[in-house]
Amino acid sequence: MIIQALAFYVFAAIAIASGVMVVTSRNPVHSVLYLILAFFNAAALFVLIGAEFIAMILIVVYVGAVAVLFLFVVMMLDINFVELRQGFMRYMPIGALIGLVLLAELVFVGGAWTFSGEATQVMLAKTPEIAAVHNTEAIGNLMYTRYVYLFQAAGLVLLVAMIGAIVLTHRQRDGVRKQRIGAQIAVRREDVVEVVKVTKGGGV
Amino acid sequence: MYVAIVFLPALGALIAGTFRAQLGDRGSQLVTCGAMGLSMILGIVAFIDVALGGNTRTIELFDWISSGSMQASWALKFDTLTAVMVMVVTVVSTMVHVYSIGYMSHDPHKPRFMAYLSMFTFAMLMLVTADNLVQLFFGWEGVGLASYLLIGFWYHKPTANAAAIKAFVVNRVGDFGFALGIFGVYILFDTVSFDAIFAAAASKQEASITFLWWEANAITVLSILLFIGAMGKSAQLGLHTWLPDAMEGPTPVSALIHAATMVTAGVFMVARLSPLIEYSADALTVITFVGAATAFFAATVGLCQNDIKRVIAYSTCSQLGYMFFALGVSAYSAAIFHLMTHAFFKALLFLGAGSVIHAMSDEQDMRKMGGIWRKIPLTYSLMWIGSLALAGVPFFAGYYSKDLIIEAAFASGSAVGEFAFWMGITAAVLTAFYSWRLIIMTFHGKTRASDEVFSHVHESPKVMTIPLIVLAIGAIFSGWLGYDLFAGDARADFWGPALLVLEGHDTIEGAHHVPLWVKLCPIIAGVLGIGTAYWFYMLNPSIPGKLATTFRPIYLFLLNKWYFDELYDAVFVRPAMRIGRALWKGGDGAIIDGFGPDGISAVARVLAGRAGRLQTGYVYHYAFAMLIGVIGFVSWFVLV
Amino acid sequence: MGATSIPVMAPAAAEIFLAIAGMILLMAGVFRKSGSMAVVSWGAVVALILAAVLVLTHGGTSAEPVFFGMFSTGPFAQFAKLLVLAGSAIAIVMSLDYMKREGIDRFEFPVLVVLATLGMMMMVSANDLIGLYVGLELQSLSLYVIASIRRDSLRSTEAGLKYFVLGAISSGMLLYGSSMIYGFAGTTDFNGLAQVFSKLGDSGPAVGVIIGLVFVISGLAFKVSAVPFHMWTPDVYEGSPTPVTALFAIAPKVAAVALLLRVMIEPFGDLIAQWQQVIVLISIFSMVLGAFAAMVQTSIKRLMAYSSIGHMGFLLVGIAAGNESGVSGVLIYLFVYLFMNVGTFACILSMRQQGRYVEGIGDLSGLSKTHPMMAFALLIFLFSMAGIPPLAGFFGKWYVFMAAIESGLYALAIIGVLASVVGAFYYLRIIKIMYFDEADEPLDAEIGGEMRVVMLVTAAVTLLFFVLPAPIVATARAAASALMGG
Repeated sequence: MIIQALAFYVFAAIAIASGVMVVTSRNPVHSVLYLILAFFNAAALFVLIGAEFIAMILIVVYVGAVAVLFLFVVMMLDINFVELRQGFMRYMPIGALIGLVLLAELVFVGGAWTFSGEATQVMLAKTPEIAAVHNTEAIGNLMYTRYVYLFQAAGLVLLVAMIGAIVLTHRQRDGVRKQRIGAQIAVRREDVVEVVKVTKGGGV
Repeated sequence: MYVAIVFLPALGALIAGTFRAQLGDRGSQLVTCGAMGLSMILGIVAFIDVALGGNTRTIELFDWISSGSMQASWALKFDTLTAVMVMVVTVVSTMVHVYSIGYMSHDPHKPRFMAYLSMFTFAMLMLVTADNLVQLFFGWEGVGLASYLLIGFWYHKPTANAAAIKAFVVNRVGDFGFALGIFGVYILFDTVSFDAIFAAAASKQEASITFLWWEANAITVLSILLFIGAMGKSAQLGLHTWLPDAMEGPTPVSALIHAATMVTAGVFMVARLSPLIEYSADALTVITFVGAATAFFAATVGLCQNDIKRVIAYSTCSQLGYMFFALGVSAYSAAIFHLMTHAFFKALLFLGAGSVIHAMSDEQDMRKMGGIWRKIPLTYSLMWIGSLALAGVPFFAGYYSKDLIIEAAFASGSAVGEFAFWMGITAAVLTAFYSWRLIIMTFHGKTRASDEVFSHVHESPKVMTIPLIVLAIGAIFSGWLGYDLFAGDARADFWGPALLVLEGHDTIEGAHHVPLWVKLCPIIAGVLGIGTAYWFYMLNPSIPGKLATTFRPIYLFLLNKWYFDELYDAVFVRPAMRIGRALWKGGDGAIIDGFGPDGISAVARVLAGRAGRLQTGYVYHYAFAMLIGVIGFVSWFVLV
Repeated sequence: MGATSIPVMAPAAAEIFLAIAGMILLMAGVFRKSGSMAVVSWGAVVALILAAVLVLTHGGTSAEPVFFGMFSTGPFAQFAKLLVLAGSAIAIVMSLDYMKREGIDRFEFPVLVVLATLGMMMMVSANDLIGLYVGLELQSLSLYVIASIRRDSLRSTEAGLKYFVLGAISSGMLLYGSSMIYGFAGTTDFNGLAQVFSKLGDSGPAVGVIIGLVFVISGLAFKVSAVPFHMWTPDVYEGSPTPVTALFAIAPKVAAVALLLRVMIEPFGDLIAQWQQVIVLISIFSMVLGAFAAMVQTSIKRLMAYSSIGHMGFLLVGIAAGNESGVSGVLIYLFVYLFMNVGTFACILSMRQQGRYVEGIGDLSGLSKTHPMMAFALLIFLFSMAGIPPLAGFFGKWYVFMAAIESGLYALAIIGVLASVVGAFYYLRIIKIMYFDEADEPLDAEIGGEMRVVMLVTAAVTLLFFVLPAPIVATARAAASALMGG
């Protein structure tokens, strides 16, 4: 038990610390790297509560895809962060004040936290015995049955995101050479090869 | 069919009003007259079905207001009373529509005029078919609006505008009473539906209503308030001043609105509410007194007027007085009977006067007429028929209804009934007198018109005279035909539950059994009046002038309509103007504007500027605003 | 519930249909390539109308839980969905001409509107905090894209970006609040939450739940643009192409208000003492700010933004009342709001000078002489929005204020009436400009056929609402009592 508790505090502390670093570090590449670190720690926290599938998903999707994409974007776009930072510093005091007030209040709320009488029961009722079914199977059982509505709706959200990306960025430019496979296959020999009789000594 | 009766005119008005450019003059006239004609035929069928066949019915169209216990629907209630009114309104209105084609032939705004006429008719039909007070009020106000538009139809004439405004404002005074009455009825009965009110009326006889420290019988108070509304619309003494001025409108309007139909709305309303008013003897007394006084007052004023339309207007006022005191002595059927006969002969007289005016190149002053009877014989004879009916000469329509009213007043036996009886007789003499004064001054003697006008005198076109003839038939026969139905022994079956007369109030029955001299009195009065007029204006034309100089104060008193306008001017209008001016300059300009609009708007402008400046355009400002908002709420709950 | 059972789906037929229709339209647009805007638009309108029919036929109260209780049905949802569908359909119809003239006639626009509408319907039918969030995101994401659909215009993209960033913050708040509530109650299901809160007893809920509720309300208040979460509204309204603004002003507002109403009444009905304070405050802020800030605007679109903030304040009055007449008042108000706003935007979309769209209030000067009918229609809408009887807007305000008085919120009702008096000022200012100022440069005479029809119908409804309010009032009452009872 004590190892578990220890591990929790270590991972949680690192997660929070790297979160702070994401915001404060000067080099944007460092920010993204700290973000990846935060993800790893969050995944570790998931493992600690027995949700190994979600932990793996977090690493595969967020670290493997999203964060790396971020890294590419940050490196490709040459953003002048010094300029952005000026605004940041100007609003730092008020931002910090608001954050502190909120933090204080939330700490207070967390201290006075209670659960409703049935909360634990209700929560447990939905969770199958951990030993009986493993994580992935439990999620699969729920996701495509009980939560099929949300699953489909989430799919629609992704569809909209895709449409949005295309609408806002896709442009038809002239003079771009694209590969047209159909056209390439349909090419006949006569269209591209011309047999020229070359008279002797006359050149082409 | 019943729905069509009411809504055909509305449809006509909408089409003529909306598509006036496309339809043109001819088209809009055809549409409105066609719709009205159809409505009239259906109205007569409805009369036969409902009144003669006894098939009363209520047609629910749809819910209108539904708020708590306040339920009002759009519904058409067809009982005998409604059927009579529908027939009268549609017939007269159709005649006026047709007549207007000829009369307004020189006017550039024919479609607008026709649309207004049809709209008016629609409102009137809505009024008479109402099955609850709110719908009645809708029709009531609709009629008021249409009359405002029609009186002020020639809006470029300042006098017409003034008259329209006057009609509107004076009616508003009456409507105030009417509206209070409706509120009171709702408080007392918790409903505005007629059937429910009437069913509960008997049980509320003793109920009382308290206003401040003053307690009174509820039904009496309500009846009087409602009657004040009727007084406004029906131009009873005190609220009558708008009616003569309303003659500024085109003549067909005068005929339709200010003679035949609209002004009778008050009479109709009191008759409709007879099952309520009948329970209040005090209210009935008031109604009788006001009616009798109006009958007499208007008749005296009619003696000295020189404008042909004004004479007829005061005569209308006076005849309405008759109707009201008939209502007051519980002779409701007599009042409605007179309403019907009066509608025919008064419309006839007005349209006839219009025909005269038309012939005389728009001259309305009788002092500039005379000697034209040979030139327009048809109009002349029709005016005779109208006047004979008005004066109550035997066997014309007015004879039956007016006699019945006067006899009923006598038969009621009360003191106020007696007063009404004598006033009625006197007014009958005066009525006969001024009717013949009008005929003689207009048609007989040497002409006083200029040669140019006189040489142009011509009979009106057929489109104007045919409606006159139809109305004349009504003026001759409607009394004779209707007497048995309206006042004969079978009247109880005829009216059904539409009218309620309590035990012991049945003055119609009493009217059939009055002494002979009472029966003769009205006839003698009529003959006396006609004779005097003939003597004054035909045989000895100098007498009126001499009388006028000898009794100059009385003459002036009558000529100036008992100085009602001047009195109102001094008592209400001018002080109101003074108060208004004081409030405007001192109260509004200095105090309210200073601190109010000017002050507040200055403050508001500053605030608005600040509010506008909050919008900086920076996303992080917006985000901060949101966060601060959340934190504000969170702190509120955490700390409190 | 067995793991393999098939969910009850029939009551969600309209949503399923709309989702499929959206995808089909997308395919149609892609394969038709150029010039497909009109086809796809009319297809989208037809799809929305068919969805409305399905809402009517299948959307009634379902005996069994739909989608395992994720999806709620009944008259309340039907009423709100019909309004949403009508708003979206009309917005598409009104956009046709504008989009073509401005050269942004892209077929993705109607497709995105259809998907956004689907999101709104899911919001209205949400019966679970997760379902609520997903519906909200589907709607918002579509709207972010639509806001910046004129991607070559700096203002349009800026509007979209602002909307996106602030929307993300609000979504974050909503999720944070939801998680706190879940932490307390152990469920996200509305029925389950209602059950938990009904058993609280005298001690009341823990402060954490209330804080969670505050976060949830803040997230939703952003969607209805209630002060102080309104800041995006004027910029987005101004920056977006006008038909998009029209859409924003109508359908999402209806959906968000309906959602807020459901969330407050159904799961948190027993916490009324707490949330009422928040709603009352944001209601007052919205009414007052809407009234004052609108005065100094020169762009009619910005003015409409503040006007809608003010209207949301009035609607929140009805929500704050928290009783049955409040709910029915809000529904009636929404109905009226839909017609007034559609009509006003039809007028704004008809403002062109020499073929170019203009949006300054000053451009309306002398309108009564050049376009008497349009000026009259706009007069009706503005008077109605100012709440002058007997126009429809008056009844909306009347019902919500009556509800507030019924539940004892006298101060709120009085402030509301005062705010609507101040608000009348800026509506009257437009009328003054239309009727009494001389035109420098008259607007183009030609008005599109669709606009004429829209103006005529909405003006007639607004003007004649008082003649026959009974059907709407009765339907709204039935919907309200279904919501309160269920």
